[in-house]
Amino acid sequence: MQALLVFLAIAALSLLASSPALDPSRFPSLARLAAGGFLFLLFGVVLGPSVVGALSADDLGHLRPVMALGLGTAGVILGLNLEPRLLRLLPRPVYAAALAHSGTAFLFVALPLTAPLLLTSHPSLHAAVGAASLLGASASLSSGHFAVLAYRAGRMDRARGLGVALLTMLDDAVGLVVLAVALVLSAAPSAGEGLGLVCLAVLLGVLCGALLAFLTHAMKDPAELTTVTLGMVALVGGAAAYLRVSALLAGVACGATLALVGGRTVERVARALGRVERPVFLVLVFLVGCGVYTRDWAAWALVPGFVGLRFLGKVLGGRFAQRFASGVLELPPRVGYALIAQGGLALCLVAEYQFLVPGGLARRVLDVVVVGAVVNELLAGPAFRQVLAEPKPRMAPAAAVDDVEVAT
Amino acid sequence: MKGAVTRLLLLMILLAIISRAQVLRADSGTSVTLAAGALLLCGLFAGKVAKGFGLPRLTGYLLVGVAVGPYALGFIPGEGVKGLDLVKGLAVSLIALVAGTELRLGLIRRVGARVALLCAAVCAVTFAVCFGATLALKPVLPFLAPLTMPQALAVSALMSTVVVSFSPTVTIAIVQETRARGSFTEFLMALVIIGDLLVMVAFALAAGMTRASFGGGFDVAGLLGGVGWELFGSVVVGGVLAVAMLVYMRGVKRELPLFLVGLSFAAAEGGTRLHLSPLLVSLAAGALIVNLDEREGERIHHAIQQAGLPVFALFFAAAGAGLKLDALVTVGPAALLLVVLRGAAIWFACRRFAPASDPRLKEYLWMGLISQAGVTFGLAALVSRTFPSFGPQVEVLIVAMITAHELVGPVLTRRALTASGEVRTDEAPGTA
Repeated sequence: MQALLVFLAIAALSLLASSPALDPSRFPSLARLAAGGFLFLLFGVVLGPSVVGALSADDLGHLRPVMALGLGTAGVILGLNLEPRLLRLLPRPVYAAALAHSGTAFLFVALPLTAPLLLTSHPSLHAAVGAASLLGASASLSSGHFAVLAYRAGRMDRARGLGVALLTMLDDAVGLVVLAVALVLSAAPSAGEGLGLVCLAVLLGVLCGALLAFLTHAMKDPAELTTVTLGMVALVGGAAAYLRVSALLAGVACGATLALVGGRTVERVARALGRVERPVFLVLVFLVGCGVYTRDWAAWALVPGFVGLRFLGKVLGGRFAQRFASGVLELPPRVGYALIAQGGLALCLVAEYQFLVPGGLARRVLDVVVVGAVVNELLAGPAFRQVLAEPKPRMAPAAAVDDVEVAT
Repeated sequence: MKGAVTRLLLLMILLAIISRAQVLRADSGTSVTLAAGALLLCGLFAGKVAKGFGLPRLTGYLLVGVAVGPYALGFIPGEGVKGLDLVKGLAVSLIALVAGTELRLGLIRRVGARVALLCAAVCAVTFAVCFGATLALKPVLPFLAPLTMPQALAVSALMSTVVVSFSPTVTIAIVQETRARGSFTEFLMALVIIGDLLVMVAFALAAGMTRASFGGGFDVAGLLGGVGWELFGSVVVGGVLAVAMLVYMRGVKRELPLFLVGLSFAAAEGGTRLHLSPLLVSLAAGALIVNLDEREGERIHHAIQQAGLPVFALFFAAAGAGLKLDALVTVGPAALLLVVLRGAAIWFACRRFAPASDPRLKEYLWMGLISQAGVTFGLAALVSRTFPSFGPQVEVLIVAMITAHELVGPVLTRRALTASGEVRTDEAPGTA
């Protein structure tokens, strides 16, 4: 019954989030959190076992299938965005720039935080390295929604808006690779076995992606296409959860395979998935929020370090990216400030890590990243204004950045 | 159809690979999402294959569920199938909601009395035949043999009440699939719905008698209170849901399928927790809506049809996967005998008591009454929980009967509708 009440509460909150009741001009921060889905994260923290307790740890255990479905869906959507044609067209300096900004943030966070993790948790060295890498990977991720929305609102020119969006899209790959490495290190007793599990996840995704392409090939009825798409997403996420391998990585492999061999079906599958993307994302972030253990003081102590080091890493990494990409990719001045928003993939990474590497350390990583993501989302608005300090007038001005809907 | 067979085979190969890969892991994770995805996909393509053979898609869903489920090939673990109970409750609620929108006052006035009389006759004859047969089988049925005669009478009555029940779920799914419309279809649907209401009341009485015969005392007030709460409480809660739906539909006008799924989920889960009948709750809600505002009733019907394909495919494939084939082996002969006798009793009652004004009723109606599914499962499980001394064995026998009925029932229902001449088309996109 508790789970039912929580689901009803989610439905009520989603209606609230999409209603004009959250007026950006009155509560800009709250409206930004609501539009980005982060309000659901906070709602999950409050209702979770460590605060109000509306959802017990047992309830969360029963909701694991929903979590697996969410991670699988997120993975497939990410994989579908890895369009091979576009990736082949990109020149090397673009990859170098993306690697520079995400790699700098990764190193700024992962290296200094390894020591406190080792001291406070007393894990083995490779477990601490795995956990610190996950923190670094989460820090390396950015969301390009502010840039895209600023471009749509006429406050940033198209080339710069797309440049930032491209950088943030490419840093997703860094996050996923680090997750894979962390799982190799921590998800099994030995690194060889861990590597086998990651390979199994990818193989599962490739098989499902190829089969999805075949199943949907020449399928005309939209209801059938949606059913098959949803069924395959559930299958890939569910099979990964059943085999205790990464649903996120399997989903990415599935989506990427489909993007590679699916031809014209890809667009229709993406449209079908687009219909469920928002509700699935909101439920997923809610469940991630429920997993936060608010009484872990060591995690709270790590949050300022995580946010501050990430900020520095992004600012410095932005400068490197600008240097690497000059002449190839147009980026706004002080691009690092445009990369402060963290996005939902960071939450998926830590949720997956906690799923597959149970224990106090994984939970601490989750706590730090969840709280950090909310803080970063709040910081992102003022930080982005620094990027727009010298706006280039073009197109008819529409709404201000703060006034527009935020994509996830 | 060849394409559908190929796709189905490829899916099954993938499932086989996954189940083999699981052997490599020392322990497994949650299997509910895997079961949902696998049954949805296999169900969809098996439905196409069944259609190619001239069978109802529903039969395809059921058969593929049996095939990949834990009791046959074992590609889907039992815990995964059990975890889909929530989906089953949701599907029953959605189906009952659609059925409710068919219950217009005009129809009830037109055929209500005739349906109720025929229903009472069919239920009485079937009950009498099954009761007699069960009692006659007392020496060979292990759970009846050691009982005293009054106890055996009570248990036989309880079991026969459950055995009488029909399946509104299957009937409505087949009607949606075939888009059948007409007086015969209306009569059949009304009969299976009223039949299940009768069975619910009779079950409560029989359970009270059984409890008394085992020394529990005959609590008349408790019995009437329980039956009253289940029936009238369900109707009242259904009425509240109907008002909520109408307010939403008139006020919000967006995302209706999503809203209906959420509300049906609440009706299914909440109804079960409050000891109400989720079927009756949704039925009452649908009926009230269509009689208060016919246009909104049509909208609900249309919206559920849009969400119908995945819900039906998953529901019936999961039902198939849950059929305990091993039960057929242990109590097979007794179950088979009861299946045949039940079928004969329904046939006889329809031939004898169906209104002579429509010869099709005498001829074909019995075929639409053979199916059994959700309600029968639920009552059998209730017997098992309420009477732990003999209930689990009764449940095994009833589940064996349901297995047989699930396999032949949908085919017969479709045949009845086709023979009545009220089937409009075979291609109803988005339906079962």
